[in-house]
Amino acid sequence: MAYSETNPLAENFGFDIGGPLAAYWIALLRVITGWWFFHAGVTKLLTDGLNYTAGPGYLKGMTGTALGGLPVWMGNNLAWLIKPGVPLFEALIGLALIFGVLTRLAAFGGVFFMSLFWVGNAGFGHGVVNSDLMGLMLFMTVIVFAAGRYYGLDAIIEKTRFVKRHPRLRYLLG
Amino acid sequence: MTLKDMNPIDRAVMLVSTGLMFVGIVVLGVVEIAAGEPYSAAPVEVTNEAGEVVNTLYPAVDPNIRTGLVIAGLLILLVWSGYKLATPVSPPPTEERTTSETV
Repeated sequence: MAYSETNPLAENFGFDIGGPLAAYWIALLRVITGWWFFHAGVTKLLTDGLNYTAGPGYLKGMTGTALGGLPVWMGNNLAWLIKPGVPLFEALIGLALIFGVLTRLAAFGGVFFMSLFWVGNAGFGHGVVNSDLMGLMLFMTVIVFAAGRYYGLDAIIEKTRFVKRHPRLRYLLG
Repeated sequence: MTLKDMNPIDRAVMLVSTGLMFVGIVVLGVVEIAAGEPYSAAPVEVTNEAGEVVNTLYPAVDPNIRTGLVIAGLLILLVWSGYKLATPVSPPPTEERTTSETV
């Protein structure tokens, strides 16, 4: 084990990225982020079922944003997908993160959702760094650290023969 | 692995994407503060004692520019992830043995 003579406290108090505390913390971060989205999705399912009409309306109202006409086009043309998709995908993204299954793919979905929320809510009264951007950054952190490998099922899935035969799948897992 | 060990594409993607996000959030945030009130990325309505809006202060930097830079950074990462999925996985680097021992 590395030991620094100049800083004897480093051995006991250093938070190494490969250390046990970091692994616990990344796993906890993943589960909390997952619960956040699962809660958002499942409560929509309980109240609106698969007919979340506020979704397309929200996108139609996203005029004059950095995303140009894309959200409005989605609201007008993809309502058939958005109404069931918002609650369903939110819940599935949440479950995937909680259990650490296809974590990076799910977190990518979270980034997509949060990009729309961040730009669409446009609650920039206290600056562009708001809770929506922080949520987006949480999902990015989950992707970058491959958070599903820490106490998540992706750690097991990645050891299967199928994934070993197709190693690029690890970009979507982990 | 250090920044120098990364292949040029990966390094460029990392620097450009994070650079765009840094400029959008921090650099333009500093510009916004330096330009004076409203010190926020959204317009602020100034009211008189009767509560009537007498003036609206607009941020010095359009929030669409700032959010756009961040989104551009994310899009670069998205395209890069597609590239990584499409290219063969490189074998893990062989670990160099060192004779010196950390005390």
